[in-house]
Amino acid sequence: MLNELMTALQAVATLQNFLIMAAGIWGGVIIGAIPGMTGTMAVTLALPFTFYMDPVPSILLLVALYKGSTYGGSVSAILIRTPGTASAACTALDGYPLAQQGKAGKALNMALYSSVVGDFFSNISLIFLAAPLAILALKVGPPEYFMLMVFALTTVAGVSGNSLLMGLLSACFGLLLATAGEDMYGSFRFAFTGDMQAGLSVAPVLIGLFALPELIKLIVFRNPPKARAMALGDDRVSGKEFRGVAKTLFRGSFIGVILGAIPGIGPSAAAFFSYGSAQRSSPRGQNFGKGEIEGVAASESANNGACGATMIPLLALGVPGDVITGVMLGAFMIQGLTPGPLLFETNIHEVYMLFIGMLLSSVLLLFAGKFTMRIFTTIAKIPPTLLSPVVLLLCLFGIYAIGNSMFDVVVLLALGLVGFGMYLLDIPTAPFLIAFILGPMIEENLRRALATSRGDPMVLLSSPITWIFAALILFVVALTARREIGKANQRKAEAQ
Amino acid sequence: MKKILASVATTAVLAAGSVSAQDYPSEAITLVIPYGPGGASDLAGRALAESAGKFLDEPITVVNKPGAGGMNGARSVSQADPDGYTLLLARVGMALAPAVNPQVQTGWDDYSFVGSLEATPMILAVREGSEYGSVEELMAAVKENPGAMTYAASGPTAIDGFTVQALLSDAGLDPLADATIVPYKGGGALATALLGGHVDFLAIAAGSLMPHINSGDMKPLAVFSPERMDDLPDVPTVAELGYETAGQITGWSALYGPEGLPEEVQAKWDEVLGQVAEDETWLTLAERRGSISTVGEKDMPAYAESQYELFRGLAEEFGYLGN
Amino acid sequence: MTSTTLRGLGIALFFGIVIWVLIPGYVPKPAFLPGFALPPDFWPRVISIAGLVFGLIAAGLGLAGQGTPALPAEVAEDDTPMGTLLARLGLLVAAFVAFVLLVDVIGFLAAAILLTGAGILLTGERRLLAWGAGLALILPVCLYLFFTEALGTQFPPGLLFN
Repeated sequence: MLNELMTALQAVATLQNFLIMAAGIWGGVIIGAIPGMTGTMAVTLALPFTFYMDPVPSILLLVALYKGSTYGGSVSAILIRTPGTASAACTALDGYPLAQQGKAGKALNMALYSSVVGDFFSNISLIFLAAPLAILALKVGPPEYFMLMVFALTTVAGVSGNSLLMGLLSACFGLLLATAGEDMYGSFRFAFTGDMQAGLSVAPVLIGLFALPELIKLIVFRNPPKARAMALGDDRVSGKEFRGVAKTLFRGSFIGVILGAIPGIGPSAAAFFSYGSAQRSSPRGQNFGKGEIEGVAASESANNGACGATMIPLLALGVPGDVITGVMLGAFMIQGLTPGPLLFETNIHEVYMLFIGMLLSSVLLLFAGKFTMRIFTTIAKIPPTLLSPVVLLLCLFGIYAIGNSMFDVVVLLALGLVGFGMYLLDIPTAPFLIAFILGPMIEENLRRALATSRGDPMVLLSSPITWIFAALILFVVALTARREIGKANQRKAEAQ
Repeated sequence: MKKILASVATTAVLAAGSVSAQDYPSEAITLVIPYGPGGASDLAGRALAESAGKFLDEPITVVNKPGAGGMNGARSVSQADPDGYTLLLARVGMALAPAVNPQVQTGWDDYSFVGSLEATPMILAVREGSEYGSVEELMAAVKENPGAMTYAASGPTAIDGFTVQALLSDAGLDPLADATIVPYKGGGALATALLGGHVDFLAIAAGSLMPHINSGDMKPLAVFSPERMDDLPDVPTVAELGYETAGQITGWSALYGPEGLPEEVQAKWDEVLGQVAEDETWLTLAERRGSISTVGEKDMPAYAESQYELFRGLAEEFGYLGN
Repeated sequence: MTSTTLRGLGIALFFGIVIWVLIPGYVPKPAFLPGFALPPDFWPRVISIAGLVFGLIAAGLGLAGQGTPALPAEVAEDDTPMGTLLARLGLLVAAFVAFVLLVDVIGFLAAAILLTGAGILLTGERRLLAWGAGLALILPVCLYLFFTEALGTQFPPGLLFN
């Protein structure tokens, strides 16, 4: 093995490969950081280039773009509350308040370090644990999936702000909206117009709900005082702070790797999951959502942790877990390589080259992130009265370009108004988004499980994995109920 | 203010360019893929864009418009301007969906049929180690315990659902109730469901299954294709096995445009598709994704109609159209 | 009735409409639903019933003098007259609608320029108008060129320029 590793190292360590990966990472960070442009877009755009490249560099380019854009999404999430990708939505919850407190640099650095740590862990797991993790992932059937996703949904309790009830209602709105469009059995739900038959895409809903209300607030209330404090100021992450979140980083990376390895879950659900568990176990849990650096660490370590891990089912089993690895599978096939168990026998040289390249990409991510951060933090100097309309403009172009669709643009603007309405009614928007993303996974797996059991609900408790998650769900529900009762009693005591 | 408006107008005019059929194509062509990135249709579309782009002297931009079982992208192209700058990578779904789902508004013939592209065989497979060694054994097992056997498909009205349902119907079974469909989205998820043992069998596009068949994790029982596949010479086609309706089902791709394409555009594409048919890039890429190039070989309007009629008949027989 | 109660009732009403009007009207049960399958309306119905119940609880809490107020503190403290606030919101909504309608007429680029300009004016920016005008004109053109040239995106050209 050592010998093979050395020859692979020699083959991969060329200036050309290095440049390709650096370009991929940096391009990914920039694309991810631009509101309305997504990692999927970056990877699909690069696909035709790989037709003319050697197998290993072409896959490395796609991987680099994926990782870069996953981190990049956090930059705009922190600076302008516009998550570049859905997996950065929880990053915005704490990152943006931090930026408003004048700690944008600190949040960006923490996001970068967490991303690199998560990324490193997922690479290591990919290299050493691919086979066992892949076997575990295959065991996850519809009932296990359902329980896992319901557990991820309990994060809603943690992002509900000062009223759990409003958080739950917000989640109901999100779950309901996600049912619009094509049903899994092929009929159409809530298809008021032809466009609605396809349902609503994540990107316009995400950006409409998070970014646009900031602009509308600015226009209606015209008091952007907090934003003015957004100087970089306190921008270093101190050693003490880093040690303080070390546990969260490990847990986030672990969650990311496990969930990333299960096909179909992906970085967004992993980030929500990790944010929820960090908030429940942190002594500063009450401060989550108000500018807690640990929240940024939880979210970013998990989404980048999931990023590399989505390669596990792809390489070990030959099954893509999400859209991006689907594109990579296409790239492999175009190159005449077939991912799967056979790849490790027939193309072990290429596999090792890929592994070494991916390890290198973690390092490159650190430098690319540092470099890009400098450029993007200058936008903190632009007055919000000019910046907000410009963000809207970027979103319009980006969202249109994803599917050449004016309908998506209409959804973006409409959801912006919905988000503003929710702000006025003091209904938190984060549960809406989390529910919107997790909803289809919950519903589809419930219906799949019941189809295989021919309607017997006990199928949902048919394996040890489901028992564990059912117990965890009960635990969290009980914990939340206790906390709510405590809060109610406290309010009563204060009122008297 | 007038000045500003004037400059805006000038940029817009410059950017939009002048469009006329004589010098087609004078700008980039958008090829809409009605499914998500990474799948068989996406790869076919991107390969076509690469190959045809060379002969057109203008790039082809690929846009994925997934949703509504492929009909979202298809609908948007059928409603686009018929100037030749918006085209559709059509799949069998464009003939299937209007035939079986009354909610679908876009008809099978609401397009201009530019030309056929490829045939994509589908494979009926079970997991390696499964006790079923042939289609006959599988059908017998379904018959023995109605409803107990499960199969994965994109949906009852999707092509990979129809493969199984037609087979069941040919075997004298109830296509909806005797084997239970478990819907999944996308070739990767479908293959995973079988690999993980969450369903008993499936019959989906060859491209998603070949890797697992080659690695020995799946066992092919039959192919849905007019002829046997070169890669699987020992696996019979369903028609050979005597399943008549199922034997007519296969996957295909074609190039469609909005209804009423100018003749110049069609002529240009006839020429370009002729070159694509012999293009090395196109042929290699087709082989690698497990499909058979049929560029320009089929009389597309007639073929699409026959496919529509086939599925319409099946839908009526299965009682999918309601009342 | 307090704003908290009204908010709860409003939400309950919304979910009520979904349950009794939208689901029966717009969630058909197709004939091709196989033997063992939860129908398409199952999940939306479960969610809406939960939403209805939560909404009624919220209204009940409001009546009991509990629950969180239906307006964030910083908005409640804002002393701008309601009419002005509504006018600003109305103008913004009008700008959004105008954008969507204008795309078909004058094209995506020109409409985006107008919307950005309107956005800057609506934020109340008056000192940096030259910057604003420059941004509203140059940035959309740059974005337009980037997307059309680098990514090959084709934006609606509009009737006027076609």
